[in-house]
Amino acid sequence: MAGYLALAVIFVPWLGALAVWWAGDERRLAQHALAMVFALVTAVLSLLLLPLVSADTVLTLPAGRYFGDFTFVLDGLGVFLAIIAAGIGALAVIFSVDYMEGEAQLGRYYSLILLFIGAMIGLVLTDSLLLLFFFWEITAFCSYALISFHNDDPKAVSGGIRALIVTQVGGAGLLAGALAIYGLFGSFQIGQFLAQARVLPPEALRLMAFGFLIAAAAKSAQVPFHTWLPDAMEAPTPVTALIHAATMVNAGVYLLARFYPAFAPVPGWKLAVVVVGVVSAVLAAVMAAVTTDIKRVLAYSTISQLGYMVYAIGAGGVFASQFHLMSHAVFKALLFLGAGAVIHALGTRDLRQMGGLGRKMPFVRVVFVIGGLALAGLPILNGFWSKELVLETGLSGGPLWAYALMLFCAGLTALYTFRLVWLVFYGPRQGDQAVHDAPLAMRVSLTVLALGTLTTWLVAGPFGAMLKRSLPFHTLDVVSTGQLVLTILTSWSTWLALSVVALGLGAWWGRGRLIAVVVRLRFLARAAAADFGFAWLNAAIVRAVRSVSEGLSVAQTGQLNWNVLGIAGGLAIVLALLLWGG
Amino acid sequence: MTFSPLTIALLAILVLLGIGLYGLLAVRNLIKIVIVLQILGKSALLALIAAGNASGQINLGQSLALTVIVADTVVAAIGLALAVQVRRQLGTLDARELGKLRG
Amino acid sequence: MMILYGCLTLGMVACAMLAIRSSRLVVSSLWLAALSALLAVLIYLLGAARVAVIELSVGAGLVTVLLVFAVGIAGDEAAAQKPLVPRLLSWGLGLVVLALLGWFVLPLVAAPSPASQPSLASLLWEGRALDVLIQVVLIFCGVLGVLGLLASAVPVEAAKREQALPALEDGPESGPIAEQGRMQP
Repeated sequence: MAGYLALAVIFVPWLGALAVWWAGDERRLAQHALAMVFALVTAVLSLLLLPLVSADTVLTLPAGRYFGDFTFVLDGLGVFLAIIAAGIGALAVIFSVDYMEGEAQLGRYYSLILLFIGAMIGLVLTDSLLLLFFFWEITAFCSYALISFHNDDPKAVSGGIRALIVTQVGGAGLLAGALAIYGLFGSFQIGQFLAQARVLPPEALRLMAFGFLIAAAAKSAQVPFHTWLPDAMEAPTPVTALIHAATMVNAGVYLLARFYPAFAPVPGWKLAVVVVGVVSAVLAAVMAAVTTDIKRVLAYSTISQLGYMVYAIGAGGVFASQFHLMSHAVFKALLFLGAGAVIHALGTRDLRQMGGLGRKMPFVRVVFVIGGLALAGLPILNGFWSKELVLETGLSGGPLWAYALMLFCAGLTALYTFRLVWLVFYGPRQGDQAVHDAPLAMRVSLTVLALGTLTTWLVAGPFGAMLKRSLPFHTLDVVSTGQLVLTILTSWSTWLALSVVALGLGAWWGRGRLIAVVVRLRFLARAAAADFGFAWLNAAIVRAVRSVSEGLSVAQTGQLNWNVLGIAGGLAIVLALLLWGG
Repeated sequence: MTFSPLTIALLAILVLLGIGLYGLLAVRNLIKIVIVLQILGKSALLALIAAGNASGQINLGQSLALTVIVADTVVAAIGLALAVQVRRQLGTLDARELGKLRG
Repeated sequence: MMILYGCLTLGMVACAMLAIRSSRLVVSSLWLAALSALLAVLIYLLGAARVAVIELSVGAGLVTVLLVFAVGIAGDEAAAQKPLVPRLLSWGLGLVVLALLGWFVLPLVAAPSPASQPSLASLLWEGRALDVLIQVVLIFCGVLGVLGLLASAVPVEAAKREQALPALEDGPESGPIAEQGRMQP
């Protein structure tokens, strides 16, 4: 029964994708309705998975000797991410009903979103590394296709291709690690690997550990693979909220969390993870403070918050990172959808043309401020609790310099968040477009997410307990919600962090008086605007890939005789290898 | 290795396979390619019958061989129909020239 | 016995080589028919009498007729062209693959051990019924395919002639090629 439910949660959205495509682009109402129905059904089904959480394999599909078994496990880590994917997916689809009003090719849009949701759920529910790679690649493809959704816009298309190439570097790392595991164990099962990781030769384990770190860094847009995420902002905003804030970018963090027990003993791995997280967090926060595109600010903010999660894992706090993941998914989706409402109303993403919108769009202002406060880490909202937990875990499990930098980054987060909120909703009105508040469907999604931002921290205790009892290989220290609240409120690091946040807020308020400091830091702003040189690196990678593929096209002659030569030559090589291998 | 009539049959299979492979590498005329495919098919046919003989289940080998004959013949028929059409529409049966066609 | 097998094999090899190397397509078809005949004898000697008969009639009969028919329509000028792949390379590769396969396969052959078995007819209709069904479908599709391919000859030619006519009347500005040029943005 649990196995069928697991399969249903993956295949219902895929069925929905087929249904929407089959309905055809002429029947727009049917397409909107079908997409909403299937997304909502998926969300409900994913919630039904909650009582079935356990560490056992619920479904095993034998797939032959070379592919191993396709197994599915409903443990806490997977089910919670599945609920996030399905839930935020449903909300993004509801939001799209108004956002994509009047756009062409809705069938392609909804099909890709539903395909993505199914693949993401499959990614987190499976216990077979091969199947995980398979779903990983499907999500990468959907992300590319949705970024370049407006395929008559060259910026969108190039953004999509850049995203695809950079994340495929990560995919290669994942495949290398998976094949190494298969070669050493003879099976793709993750549970088996986690149980027996100690018996592996240390060099092999190190190769796998760093391969997976590269894969996770590329997928979660961490330094040095981070430039694809700001370029992915060309996608329609609901897509950004779903894929690039709440689900796909979390796949990297999920990978690190899932494999943490096996890789933690590898010398240098935890430190590398901490370094990646801290560098990403700080660099991205600086870049968020200087950019003028509303979605790019949020994109850099996503990179920075993912850095927090990665840092937490490196410091040993898997529960803290997943708790922050949950909060971040909700409030970041809220912020992106709010930004989407603003973009939909104004037609521009440029912050310099906004300002003073709070008067005309009071509803959006309220929800956006709620999301912003959660991002900055103000008390009561879910972002506060999870960020404090991350910082505390980092203090006890990671190096002190990392803690100091992350604390400074919390201040930066507050700075750029207030800057963003101010530039959009307060202050003098810069542009002159006509503005209207968010329509109904958008309001529904925004309200649900705002309520979530206010309340998801309350389930910290049960969430931790669910993780603890269903992840047999992880050592997690989890406490009930009440104890969590008490610990955080009484810890000195919390008050230190809050004062840093207040400093950040004050810095924005008093930016007139700080103008001397700002001028001296201008070189930093220029470097940040140029992405600290990483954009050049990624462009170089894309150029290299393009030239290699153009060079290799010589081998595709289209002549029968040459193709047969290739076949025969390959056959000869395979036979020779078999002969030599004995 | 016992040198039996079966070994000679096996040699025949291998040589026919090798000749078929050479043929696919060297032949450019479409109809001749159909002939080469026939040769390859005959080597497969012989392999099935030889296997049936070697394992003692000759009737199983025959039933499989029947499928191969049918499939080969249908492929030959369609291939030849294609070749005739190509000759009519495009005027040439040379694989190299056909490879240069555009649009 | 072995000599008979040896002669048959040599004959088959010679027929195959001549089929590929000969310059006229009709002659190639005839060498293919000879190959089928020799193969049928070899198959019969290996114990498969029924399939030998079928192979003789289909391979040496039906396929040869088809080939001659096609060559008659399509023309017989298989000029001796220079092959794309260098001759040495194709010979060499063929021999290499041959040798490697032989190395693997030849030691596997054991002496035949006949066992009791069901008759061919019952095996076909009961054991491999799905195969028979698929073969029927395959033949059906093949017939449809051939009919489709050969039937479209006349209408396409007539349509082409009709399309070419306006070009003669209106000049180079109209006609399908000019249309195509206009459609490219």
